[in-house]
Amino acid sequence: MLADKGTAAPRRSLWGNLLVFLAVVGPGIITANVDNDAGGITTYSLAGAQYGNKLLWTLIPITVALVVVQEMSARMGVMTGKGLADLIRENFGVKVTFWVMVALLVADIGNTIAEFSGAAASLSIFGVPAWVSVPLTAAAVWILVLKGTYRQVEKVFLVACLFYIAYPISTFFAKPEWSTVVKATLTPSFETSGGYVAMLIGVVGTTIAPWMQFYLQSAVVEKGIKPEQYAHSRLDVVAGCIITDVVAFFIIVACAATIFKAGIKVETADQAALALGPLAGRYASWLFAFGLFNASFFAATILPLATAYYVCEAFGWESGIDKKWGEAKQFYWLYTGIVALGAAVVLTPHLPLLKIMLVSQIVNGVLLPFILIFMLLLVNDPKLMGAHRNGPWFNGVAWATTAIMIVLTGYLVVAGLRDLFAA
Amino acid sequence: MPHSDSFRFLFFSDLLGKRVFRADGSPLGRVADLIAVSGEPFPPVESVIVRSGKRRLQLPWNAVAQVNGGVRLHPGAEPVPAPAGPVADRVRLGDEVLDRQIVDIEGAKLVRVNDLHFLESKASLRVAHVDIGFRGLVRRMGWQRLVDRLVSTVRPGSRYLKDESLLPWKLVQPIESAPGRVRIEATKKALATLHPADLAEIMEELDRDHRQVLLERLDVETAADALEEASPEVAAELLQQVEPDKAADILEEMAPDESADVLSEIPGETREELLEAMEPPEAREVQALLAYPPDSAGGLMTPDRIQLYPEQTAADALAEVRRRAEEVPLVYEVFVVDNAGGLRGFATLKDVVLADPGTPISRIARDAPVTVAVTDRLRDVAIAATKYNLISVPVVDSRGVLQGIVTVDDILAEVVDAR
Repeated sequence: MLADKGTAAPRRSLWGNLLVFLAVVGPGIITANVDNDAGGITTYSLAGAQYGNKLLWTLIPITVALVVVQEMSARMGVMTGKGLADLIRENFGVKVTFWVMVALLVADIGNTIAEFSGAAASLSIFGVPAWVSVPLTAAAVWILVLKGTYRQVEKVFLVACLFYIAYPISTFFAKPEWSTVVKATLTPSFETSGGYVAMLIGVVGTTIAPWMQFYLQSAVVEKGIKPEQYAHSRLDVVAGCIITDVVAFFIIVACAATIFKAGIKVETADQAALALGPLAGRYASWLFAFGLFNASFFAATILPLATAYYVCEAFGWESGIDKKWGEAKQFYWLYTGIVALGAAVVLTPHLPLLKIMLVSQIVNGVLLPFILIFMLLLVNDPKLMGAHRNGPWFNGVAWATTAIMIVLTGYLVVAGLRDLFAA
Repeated sequence: MPHSDSFRFLFFSDLLGKRVFRADGSPLGRVADLIAVSGEPFPPVESVIVRSGKRRLQLPWNAVAQVNGGVRLHPGAEPVPAPAGPVADRVRLGDEVLDRQIVDIEGAKLVRVNDLHFLESKASLRVAHVDIGFRGLVRRMGWQRLVDRLVSTVRPGSRYLKDESLLPWKLVQPIESAPGRVRIEATKKALATLHPADLAEIMEELDRDHRQVLLERLDVETAADALEEASPEVAAELLQQVEPDKAADILEEMAPDESADVLSEIPGETREELLEAMEPPEAREVQALLAYPPDSAGGLMTPDRIQLYPEQTAADALAEVRRRAEEVPLVYEVFVVDNAGGLRGFATLKDVVLADPGTPISRIARDAPVTVAVTDRLRDVAIAATKYNLISVPVVDSRGVLQGIVTVDDILAEVVDAR
């Protein structure tokens, strides 16, 4: 509501809108970039390398689901001014909160392990062995966050995320058949082979993860976004979701146009880097290693920190990197523990790393439906949300999304458990 | 003492969800909440809310005959439908305190309530403590016996078994409950004992709605002190949520430089509205400061200072300090200006106190080693203060007329923030 009069008004308000948008922007786009972490890049690369363009069609429904879920998180954050862990504790009590937090902790430790193995894989391309790269990365993550220069570094990470542009460029150089790509994106196709279904669920699961809802809502709260700025915040969230999936789209197409076409079976990070060959030639593996390392490191700083925050928020322990160690013991021990455990697991020889990741994926899968249902109950609570509850139409889409996610993750959990015991 | 000392301690978790039976043994429902009368050091529980199917029923606490595993009622106890919303001067312990954040007055921080500790005597049940400890969490999970036994076998001397983490009720402030007249006075008094900087930190940690509730419960002076310590963004957000009249009162009470910082964070229309609601002299002062960028000497300075003419004496200076003690919170030096307002020098308070009362101030004063222009940046002001060891740096306009002073505490705050 600008009170400007005269001819300058429209330009002013456009400018004003842009300023507000820039002030509010951030949480959605940062969440999106953390979402494309080591697990994300790996999953999308494998999807393109093994199945070509066949999984592209899933990206449109995934984007819709992602927008629906993330929008609710952001709206709850803006309207209640509270984090999701906070709301769950206050509305569903200690027992529910305890189990949700235990599951979140296990799932996030699993995700952190994935980040550290991503860091190890990327640095191994430069010839650095894991026993050097992993402890160094863990120490760097730990010091970076606790010594409080994190806010500035976040910007560096975001700039480094421009690496993702390498995929679209490489895709154009690879000259895929665009008509096929567009057709594959717009027409759903389905295969009943177990591998295809598992990959489909993998893509969905890596894109919509439980931690994101906690992270986004807290980030929105911390940014202090007011209800009247919500329209801009929503734009940020939608932009973030679209960025996530556009990046996923180009990774899949690039891998389909190179690795899948050449019929290579991807087993190492070096082979996944072939997708960047049309752009970077023999430097492709370096570029890939750089991007993968940035993504792993970025997520490895955010995930353990965010997890420590939610757990402390839920149980009422003091938290925050501005507190001293003695004031926020639980917070620092949790943070340190997650980082140390994540790194230690990657380094332990003979530990079934793949099985551990499978367990973490299963826990993620079990947790997600609960989180989605809690979110829907909270977002429809008139005491909390007042007039900003879901409308009937939106609620329909949200419940349908939740139902589909429950079916998919249910399948993932069953298949995962079967694999776990079969192996 | 004879029979009256038959009391025992109970936890909320011992009661919550327990089955409620009528006198004849027929089940009524389960305990859903307890309602206490607020404003007392040990608030008595007035009634119990029972969930019976989908209905919520209310019973006076004195209808309870016995708490023992389940809750048994006296004969003839008649439940009525429970009120839906909050009631003035009553605390709904389950809805408004349990699992919520409350202000710990003694520790000056926010804590989350894991359990409540009651004192049960023959006729009454009173809230004694809130449990914020780990053991409270374990108890709520229903694992206390198991965990206690485990810990005492492994480490009998563990802090877990000794530390009760119980805060006396009178030292905490629930934020959610409906205040009512009785509570407000007690709350105001309790919150006013917190250091403004702690209060500001608590407010910054609270979510938006609760900040507002807390601010509304502060008197104008405490609120102004706390908001001076809070970041201008948070202070601005808070002031936009209270009544414009109260906001204006708070702004008048704050130091002009701080209130200008806060106002500069408030969007145009609302800012004008608040300035209009303020008393004209304060509003003018603040408006003048608003004209400068916030990180310039003009934006940092406060116009409040003790200022004298050369012919006035040390006694006049002290009289002036006493006269203006209310508006000028910090006095370390007095400034000497000529008739046009040009800065001629300054004298420290120590110089003035030690001088013979009749000495003209011009004889005590020395030249200011440095002045800064209203447009100078924070960095220049900080350098000036450090180089000459100044507590206040005088700010002058282009004609050398004294406009105000930047005090070292404001410089420090800005430098720390800019890091």
